[in-house]
Amino acid sequence: MAECEAKSEVTGSIWKIVTEVGQKVEAGDTIMIIESMKMEIPVIAEESGTIKAFLVKEEAAVSEGQTVAVLET
Amino acid sequence: MSDATKEAAAIGWEPEIEELRFRRAEAQRLGGAEAIEKHHSQNRLTIRERIGGLVDGGTFQEVGGLTGQGRYADGKLAGVTPAPYVMGLANIEGRPVAIGGEDFTIRGGTSWSGDRKKGGQGGFIEDLAASYLIPLVNLIDGAGGSVTSINRRGHSVFPGVHGFERSVELMGKVPVVSAVLGTAAGGPAGRAILSHWSVMVKGTSQVFAAGPPVVERSLGQKISKEDLGGADIAVDHAGTIDNRAKDEAECFAMVKRYLSYMPQNVWEMPPIVDIGDPVDRADDALASIVPRDRRRPYNMRKLIELVADKGSIFEIQPTYGKALITAFARMNGKVVGILANNPMVYGGAMDVRAARKQTHFIELCDSFHIPLVFFVDVPGFMVGKDAEAAATLREGMRAVYVALQASVPMFTVVVRKCYGMAGMGATDKNGLDFKIAWPSAEWGSLPIEGGVAAAFRREIAAAPDPKAREREIEADLRSMASPFRTAEAFGVEDIIDPRETRAYLCRFIDAAQGRIRTTLGPKARYGVRP
Repeated sequence: MAECEAKSEVTGSIWKIVTEVGQKVEAGDTIMIIESMKMEIPVIAEESGTIKAFLVKEEAAVSEGQTVAVLET
Repeated sequence: MSDATKEAAAIGWEPEIEELRFRRAEAQRLGGAEAIEKHHSQNRLTIRERIGGLVDGGTFQEVGGLTGQGRYADGKLAGVTPAPYVMGLANIEGRPVAIGGEDFTIRGGTSWSGDRKKGGQGGFIEDLAASYLIPLVNLIDGAGGSVTSINRRGHSVFPGVHGFERSVELMGKVPVVSAVLGTAAGGPAGRAILSHWSVMVKGTSQVFAAGPPVVERSLGQKISKEDLGGADIAVDHAGTIDNRAKDEAECFAMVKRYLSYMPQNVWEMPPIVDIGDPVDRADDALASIVPRDRRRPYNMRKLIELVADKGSIFEIQPTYGKALITAFARMNGKVVGILANNPMVYGGAMDVRAARKQTHFIELCDSFHIPLVFFVDVPGFMVGKDAEAAATLREGMRAVYVALQASVPMFTVVVRKCYGMAGMGATDKNGLDFKIAWPSAEWGSLPIEGGVAAAFRREIAAAPDPKAREREIEADLRSMASPFRTAEAFGVEDIIDPRETRAYLCRFIDAAQGRIRTTLGPKARYGVRP
């Protein structure tokens, strides 16, 4: 199985993780929401797959380009 | 008539014409079967295959096909090693272009010294584009100069002996497109930047000022050429090259697509392509695309698709400076340049990359008389220490400055936020200053949140419940921030149902065509950019 990394497009903090480990997601689904510039910026699954792991917790600070979750595709 | 004269008349120039055939066949062999096979094994096409893959079939008229190094045995021609650059005149979608590129199969496409340069800066190919005022297509696959030229010449060449002056002149006259199709360093890398648009192929092309050996010698850094100047760095991270293609075929398709939006030169109008998409098409999805919750972003790309002519969007720099979307599109068949803030990235705030992208795109469209459409959702310049350290303010003001110098018509659609200097940079201050807004629009010199805390600091601090007082003041101010109140004062020219956007814009873009025709020609630019 191939792996796919979900990355944050922005610097900000994790506001809400809206999926769970083991959950199946489709390409385009929101995995978690980052708060940045007073906006709720979704982290979108680029490919369909299953959430393998989260690399961040809610309220954690993230930087642009940081991998926040790993998907099995 | 003597027998010898009769014989000569019968032969005519056949021996020479035969030699010409032989020399032409030698040119077709490029660097030989072995070098071509090696080149192909790296998923790279030869320069002749590249030209063949890009131009209209049968339209390539090569110039300088006989150039190269002849090999002679006992005074007779044994063979010719071609000059490592192939170029000429061709058509793309029925319009003439000057096209050329290095032949990597011969000495890695390094420069060659004939009486006149074929390609590169100051070469015949640039002269052809400049003299005939036709687009220039550079297919770049060469390492440029080599220190070995010192041996050949017996002296060291001063920088600029073959300078970029012609390349620079072309930037104000005809479209210049560069496809980086191999490892480009030095001069060829420089030329890739001196283009209106550039593209590279992921995995098989790299671009840098100097390659890994020089980097290791200078800085002690060991790095692969892909890590140093592959598409991840050059396109996505640095914006040195505009777009990436997955292979050479896609790259050629993108070059054609880009040129389809361009006039042949700055004295002509861009081509009109009417695909029959009704001007009054009013997509219902537009009425609800912007969430009522101000914290929630939406898909700006989708919004643009719903407004522009169907299938007409071509994004420039889609992976760099993602807080801003820049794209060519058509409205009722006419080419427009679209600048749209992307709320999915930093809420659309203009960071240093978005600012650079905006500056370039406005200058590009202004130079080629392509009207601009702004879809505005910008909370302002990006804030924070990183943003300040990156000179966001300077780059942002540069974007504002070029917008204020541009004379092409601009149309502003305020979709949601329009704040501060970044918001001002999205309006036609040199022209009609025509702004239409959606009911979701809001604007000001700065957003109410944050602004309240600063302006009412003492009042808030003195309140029994400062937080509650802050929110109260915010609510009061927001009630007066309705876009309709500004429309009453004609501070914004109109507020429209989002579904009317396409028809409204098409009407004014059509009407502006006559004015655009009066400004054709090169644009002079005075003053000093901030």
